[in-house]
This record gives sequence, structure tokens and C-alpha cells, in this order.
Amino acid sequence: MTPTDLRTQAPRPGWLAGQSPGVRLARHSLTLVALAVVLVPFADLAVLTRDPWAELGRMARGLAWPAWGTLESPLEALGLTVAVALWGTLGGMVLGFPLALLFARSRLVRAGCAFVRAIHELFWALLFLQVFGLSAATALMALAIPYAGIFAKVYAEILEQIPGTPRDALPPGVGRLSRFVYAELPLAWTRLAAYTRYRFECALRASVLLGFVGLPTLGFQLETAFREGRYHEAGALLWLFYLLIASLPWWGHRRLMPLLALGGAFLLGPWPALEGGLLWRFVSQDIWPPALLEGDWRGLIEWLARIPDLGPAIGNTLLLGLLGSVGALLVALVLWPLACRHFGNPATRLAGRGLLVFLRSTPELMLAFFFLLLLGPSLLPAWLALALHNGALIAFLVARHADAITPGMPGVNATGRLAYELLPRLYPGMLALLYYRAEVILRETAILGMLGVATLGYYIDANFEYLLFDVAFFLLLVTAALNIAVDALSRRLRPRETAIIDDPCQR
Amino acid sequence: MGEPRDTLVSLTGVDLGHGDQVVLPGLHLGLRRGERVALLGPSGAGKSTLLGALRRQLGDSAAWCPQQHGLVPQLAVYHNVYMGRLAEHSALANLWNLMRPLAGPWCEVAELCDALGLDGLMRRPVGQLSGGQRQRVAIARALYQQRALFLGDEPVASVDPHQALRLLALIDQRHTTSVIALHQRELALSHFDRVWGLRDGRLVIDAPARELSLADLDGLYPDADGSTGEALSRGRP
Repeated sequence: MTPTDLRTQAPRPGWLAGQSPGVRLARHSLTLVALAVVLVPFADLAVLTRDPWAELGRMARGLAWPAWGTLESPLEALGLTVAVALWGTLGGMVLGFPLALLFARSRLVRAGCAFVRAIHELFWALLFLQVFGLSAATALMALAIPYAGIFAKVYAEILEQIPGTPRDALPPGVGRLSRFVYAELPLAWTRLAAYTRYRFECALRASVLLGFVGLPTLGFQLETAFREGRYHEAGALLWLFYLLIASLPWWGHRRLMPLLALGGAFLLGPWPALEGGLLWRFVSQDIWPPALLEGDWRGLIEWLARIPDLGPAIGNTLLLGLLGSVGALLVALVLWPLACRHFGNPATRLAGRGLLVFLRSTPELMLAFFFLLLLGPSLLPAWLALALHNGALIAFLVARHADAITPGMPGVNATGRLAYELLPRLYPGMLALLYYRAEVILRETAILGMLGVATLGYYIDANFEYLLFDVAFFLLLVTAALNIAVDALSRRLRPRETAIIDDPCQR
Repeated sequence: MGEPRDTLVSLTGVDLGHGDQVVLPGLHLGLRRGERVALLGPSGAGKSTLLGALRRQLGDSAAWCPQQHGLVPQLAVYHNVYMGRLAEHSALANLWNLMRPLAGPWCEVAELCDALGLDGLMRRPVGQLSGGQRQRVAIARALYQQRALFLGDEPVASVDPHQALRLLALIDQRHTTSVIALHQRELALSHFDRVWGLRDGRLVIDAPARELSLADLDGLYPDADGSTGEALSRGRP
């Protein structure tokens, strides 16, 4: 190369300089990671148990040698779990579908849906527990109400995305209902059904979790067994749960659903006798601060000041949300190649897929519970649980999309394939998915409080326990507001140029 | 332009377009009753825009066969054809018809499907049909509307020339007036009374078909401007 050539050459760009999407997203992600690293010292990540490895060994033995014989009426708990999930989803559909039709037009409906969505199923359960007691009514309402908000939003999105040509081709004067059932519903049907199905799967996990607040689903026995250190029994229950999820394609067939719903209805009873007066008192008085009802503003400020540790609780919730999201991103980056057809051999891929299925079908509360027993009550178990569960979920989707890609240059080695062929195509979608997931992660950080992690959820749970309904309800509102704010923020930060993995079924 | 009584649509210096974007500025044309008009022009010349404007002006009196067919792939052929007269039944009847076809419409649609070579396919979802079959379903839907006027945006684009003749004959037989966008120039000359030719947002041809030659029509297509392009485009069906 002659000196003249050198002079005409463009200067070599610096580290991560430039405006290409890949470099921009890399800077974006590194900023996120750096933020998490800076904030880590503020999180309480101590390991508090003396001998975590021995405990882990006992748990592993429990899972390896489940004690099937010790289970008390497992079929009934299983049946109730399915019945609650099924009827909760149905209730959510019935409430959510009409709302979906109004969703685009009414700001009030959108705000209401955002609010009910922002509160986790378990908190709804805690709230209804005060009115309906430990009954199926509590369980059903706890699922149906947040799901109505979710269904309304996702159904509305799906209906918005159907092609408009059939609608435009209709002759003038066709009524709204006829237009909907002929030119709109059939086009959206497959996606609506697929989403409803996915939500039912979520409902199954949530239904198990309802056991953690005392409802007699599978989770109740699971929690008791874990807490009392009966790991062989807990192992059997866990296997039962995995079998239930894994066998869903067979027992969850479309034609079997009505039969399951009818059979499940019998398991749901006995229904609580509803006392109108009690319900009214709860809604109109118990959940509001007395000072507010009396119009005493000074008293209200004193009441606010008496709420303990509000600031640290909000801080912990947000911190855990950020750490969980960044952790999920890192976990997803590490795990997706394991389950992707472009890497490894059939054996590693089988193991990778198995790991992902295991991590994403275990409810995060259960994972957190497991780490909690192992590591003691700090933010660490909650962080690990959130990062692993959500990371595995994202990794699974990314791997599925990677499988559909045919590399343009055959015969490149594995790192080249990863860095030049696949990651540039997949990463924008992956990051977008993470931002969608951030809202879910934040919602979950709050419920992890029920296990003793000092997030907002911890204080909500505690105040319900002390029957301080006004404080608990106020904290629930704070949680909801926080979730809505983070959702709005993540929608703004989300990379927009491509959303290849935009799968509504996983939001 | 004939007596006002016979003029169905008359545009005088109208700007047509979508929203703020004008595709056809200052358009002058008239459509008379009983006239069969072929609408020619390269893609993007504004054919669909013009047809959309005619459709808005004619409202209920025109049967409409859109370019992308506007079919619902998940519904059966019968239901897609039935949609042509969706406005004439109550919402309840329309719902019932989805569960079990109404007797009257079923017979009428069956007759139409026979005429269009779709017999035996009435219960097949449109998504499972071939391109040509879908096109015929879209035409069946337009015919089922039983209007005096037919507006079609390339209704015979994806069928073979022989079938195109048959379909045009069927459309002629059931409508007194028609405006049909085409890209087969020979058909435009042999089967229509009048030709409208659009190029670059202007109506450059508006003349009786018998006064036009293929060479006149070639001028509409930009790739036919040069001598080599002309030779190529003459070879088109």
C-alpha cells in the first residue's frame, strides 16, 4: 500500500462507534448492564444460610427419589388446579372480549385494563381472600380480573392487525355485528385461539401459585412440603406439576375442554355465602384510610408518614426489576445457542431444550422459593429466579426463530455464525422482547415479596396479615402505578426498527 | 357526452387521491349507462384510485370486485359469496347462516358457482383454493350482488385467456354497464365499447374501442416507449 492510499482511507472507527443498528443496540445494552453494575452495591445480596450445598443436595435427592406414596389426595389438588385455571381463563375471556372491542375507542377502558393488569394474580387473591375467604370464588376472581385486562389488550391488538381488504370489499350498509363475524373474526380466529391457549397455560401456573396464599391447589401442598423440609414429597409434587404441563397437548385438546370445564365445576364448590353488608363495608370503608373518609387532610398526611419503609420498598422493587431484566438478558444470551439447530450436536441440543423447558415452566415464585431455602432471604434468590425464568423464556423464543434462519454463508465456524450471521438478525427482536417482559418482571418482583424479599409485595402481604387493609390497599395502588410507569418507560426505550420476535403469545 | 339522463357519473376537473396525496389531478370523464369500459394503464397509474372514486359515487348501484379479492380465507366459498349481500339480511340471519346455510341463498350461490366452474367447492375454505379459483370466487361474490353495474379491479388478471373471455361474457350478460381494469390490451379492444387509458396520473386515452389500435394502447406503458420495449410488450397476451 502506498502512502497516497493511506491518506485517502477513512479513519478507523473507535470502540463501538458508528450508527449501524448493531453497534447502537450494543451501546444500549452495555449502558443497561453498566447501570445494573453501578446499582448492585445497593442491593442486599448476602447468602444467609450456613450450608447451602447440603440443603441443595437434600432437595436434589428429593427430586430424584420422589415419594409418591406420601401424597395426600393428589388427584383432588390436581383437579382443582385445572378447574381454577380453566374457569378463571373462561371468566377472563367473557369479561375481556367485549372490552377488547371498546379498547381502541375508550381511554377509560384502556386505563382500567392497565390498572387491573398491573396487579398480580396473587395480590388479587389476597384482596378477595378478605371478602370470600378461602374459596374457589377468591381463586376464580383472582385469575379472571387481571386476565380480563390482559385479554382486552391482546385481543384488541390482534384484531387491529388483521388485513383490511375483506372489510373494504363489503357492500355498503353492512351492520357492525355482521361485519365483525364475517370479515373480522374469522381472520383473527387462529391467533385469538393460540393466545387464549397460552394464557390458559399461564393460568395453570398461577393456579398452582394460589396455593401459596392458602387455596387448596397443588401449590399449597408443595409449599407446605418444602417449608417443612419434606423434600421427597415436594419432589413428587413437582414431578406431578411438570407432568401436568408436559401432557397439556393431550388432555388439553379442544374437544375435551367442555368436558373438563363441566367436571371441574363440581370440584370448585362449596361456594361461600356472600354477605352483602360485609362486602360493602370492605369496599367502602376497610380499604380506605379513615382520615380520607373523614376528609381530614392533616390526618391523611400523618397516616402516610406512618407507613413504614415505603421508600426503600419502592427502591428495592425497582432495583430488583432492573437487575432481573438485565439478568434475564444475560441468561438468554448464554442459553439460546444451546437449543438452536446451528450449534452443538443432537445430544447437547436435547439437553439445552430440556433445560429451557424446565426453567420456563417452573413458576418464578417456585424457583425463588427454592433459591430462598438455599440462600436465605435476600434479593439474591429473587434475582436468580427472575433472571433464570425470564431468560429461559426469551432464549426459547430466540432459538425457535434462529432455527428458521438459513445462514447465507455455509461453512463458517460456530463463533462466526453466532456473531456475523445470527446475532445481528436476532438481537433487535430479543431486546424488544426483553422490554415487553420488563413489565412482567416488575410485577413478579412485587410478588416475590411474599417470600420475605423486602419489595413492595412483602409489605402488602404483611399488612394484609395484620388486617391493615387501608395500608395494604394503598401499597397495591402504588405497585400498580409503578408497573404502569415502567411499562410506559419500557415502551419508549424498546428498539423500534425491527421486532422480528414480536410474539404476543409470550407477553 | 350524451344527454344528462344517461350519464351515471360525470367528473369535471376533480382531484382524486388518498388523504392529502393527489394521484389523479384535474380528472375529466363521464360514464354512460349501457357502456362497457376497459380501464388500462401501468401499475401505479391510478386505476384503483379511479375505481374507488367511482365506487363511492355509485354507492349501492354498483357491484364491486376488488383487486386483492377481499376474500376471507378461513370462510367457505359459500360464505364468501354470500357476503356480497350481507347488508340485505338481519344480523341474526347472518349469524344463523354461519352455523347452517340459509336455504334460499344456498341455492342461488350454488347456481352461480356452477356457472363459474366452482361446483363442488362451495364448502371448501377459500384459503385452500388456487389463485384462479379465488378470482372466480371474488367474481361470484360481485355477481351475487345483482346490481346493474359492475366495477372490477383486474378481475381476470390471474386466469388463462380462454377463461378470461368466458368470465367477461358472464359479467356482460348480468350487467348493463361495467368498468373493468385490465392489463390484456387485446381484450380491451375486442370486448369493450370504450377504453380509458391512464398514465402518470393523467387520462391520456378516452375513446371508443373501435377507433383505437394496439399501438395506441402501447403508448400507455413506459417500457413500450422504445422500439425494443415495443417488440417485447407486443408479445404479451
